[in-house]
Amino acid sequence: MKNFEDDFYKILKLLKTREPFAFNRFSDGELYMLQNQEVILGDHMVKIGDRVERGPYHEEDFKHFHPEEHGFYRDRLIDAFRFRKKNYFKGLSCRCCVGEENFRWQLDFHGDYDENFTWANLLVNGNYPKFIREMYPVFNDYKTVFICNKKNDLSVLPFVVKDFRVGYNAMVNDYGLIEKIKTWMDENRIEDHLFLFSASFFSKMAIHQLYDHNNRNTYIDVGTTLNPFMNMRLDRTYLKSFWLGAKGSDLNKICIW
Amino acid sequence: MIKIVSGSTIPVGSTVALVNLCNQFNARGYECILYGPDRWHLDKCKSALLANFEPQNKDIIIINDINLSSASDLYKLPALVALPRKKDWFTLFKSLMSQSIWKKPKPGHFMLVLTCQGGDISCKRLTRINFYHRIHTVSRLQQINNNRKISSFICPNIIDDLRKSEHKPDLVAGIIGSIYKQNNTVSSIERALRDGIETVIIYGYLQDPIYYYKEIEPLMRKYPGKIKFAGFIDNKQNLYDSVSDVYYSVNKPWSMVRQECNLTNTRFHGPDIYEEEKSMTNDQILAVWKNELGL
Repeated sequence: MKNFEDDFYKILKLLKTREPFAFNRFSDGELYMLQNQEVILGDHMVKIGDRVERGPYHEEDFKHFHPEEHGFYRDRLIDAFRFRKKNYFKGLSCRCCVGEENFRWQLDFHGDYDENFTWANLLVNGNYPKFIREMYPVFNDYKTVFICNKKNDLSVLPFVVKDFRVGYNAMVNDYGLIEKIKTWMDENRIEDHLFLFSASFFSKMAIHQLYDHNNRNTYIDVGTTLNPFMNMRLDRTYLKSFWLGAKGSDLNKICIW
Repeated sequence: MIKIVSGSTIPVGSTVALVNLCNQFNARGYECILYGPDRWHLDKCKSALLANFEPQNKDIIIINDINLSSASDLYKLPALVALPRKKDWFTLFKSLMSQSIWKKPKPGHFMLVLTCQGGDISCKRLTRINFYHRIHTVSRLQQINNNRKISSFICPNIIDDLRKSEHKPDLVAGIIGSIYKQNNTVSSIERALRDGIETVIIYGYLQDPIYYYKEIEPLMRKYPGKIKFAGFIDNKQNLYDSVSDVYYSVNKPWSMVRQECNLTNTRFHGPDIYEEEKSMTNDQILAVWKNELGL
């Protein structure tokens, strides 16, 4: 049986031993896109298909996936989801977070089981304290490239040697950046670097295509985990619990497979 | 076999000290394993998780940061260590009440040593120590409640093999030590910036994230671009190579930081409370341990 903590330490060991890998995450937002539902993240709201709810979203989070307009990007997301390569780890939404039906849907949609499946939440919830205290410091051992929103302040991170920025709805508006990063890697013979991504849907396509292009670097989708170091809001429950001591059970949550 | 058993093996100074001690024992032909509840130590020395610990005849068992009530507690260590972590106060209270206040015998079939590394659970708070054969402290300034005059010895922790940094940066300060209020991390940062340091790098285990976010994060906005957060890094040579100065604001005479600064040619800015402590070589330290453990 897969174990949430063991998978975290498996990834951490690869990072410590400098064995290149990619950790891509397909959370609930990506799940809905794969299901070809319209997704809108707007001002404090989220629309999934016909369902509209309140959400903790601000300008830097805004995005819009429209199934008819953005089919090309959904196809690229499917490529990333079904891609297989040694040490290409795919984090899926777990049954405890998106329910049994959606969890099963992902596995069916993927096709054959992949030994490199893991949790999309691998770096958050019950593993977040370990991520900050044990994995984050290992980033110092690498020349690190950060791909993130143009609003992020990276000055607190001592290990960043290069950054690429994206803006609103990066999946669509900044898709061309993937080729630019490839060119930069090739021209500068970039190897044994660490690439961190905090660019929502864009990250998924980029991690797949960059790891396929050059698997001598490591690529990790860190999502919102480093927000407190980047002068960004702590609007996720796990962040509020860890950094502000707010009540909530996310930090005790050990996701199941 | 020597078995070092710690109530915590998170990446902080005391764990590093126990890892170094374990490695030194093994390097000198004395088989030693470090047991702990966390996983950080597992790739640092011959080690295992606390759940795998089992006392055996003729073992030498060195205990750190676990408040045993008797030697028989050794047979239920994982549960005992989990108690304070869970902060289930009712269970903790019940456990304390069930412990006898009467004198507990020393175990006859293995040797039990208490090491006081001076962490949060300081030796001062340990009230039941009469069943230990020896007590180790790292400084004469550590206070222990040793009314029953149990045989004790003092020797500092093993010092890392560090060399002078060849290419030091200019005006880059390191703040070393776990990040929480008692270590005065904020005070160290502010002193460094007042002294004209251009970049401050915080190296330390993030013990208290709420303290970090309330007290340190605002400084990052007050001094934009000047303060960086690295966390606890394993490679001390890399750490000292990356800084010209170290700022330290806590009275811990047993801390190795000043000595490490001397070895690496790093300027140390901290309290002058270290004069009484004589430094010892690793050979001298191991000789003390060998003598005390009867190796």
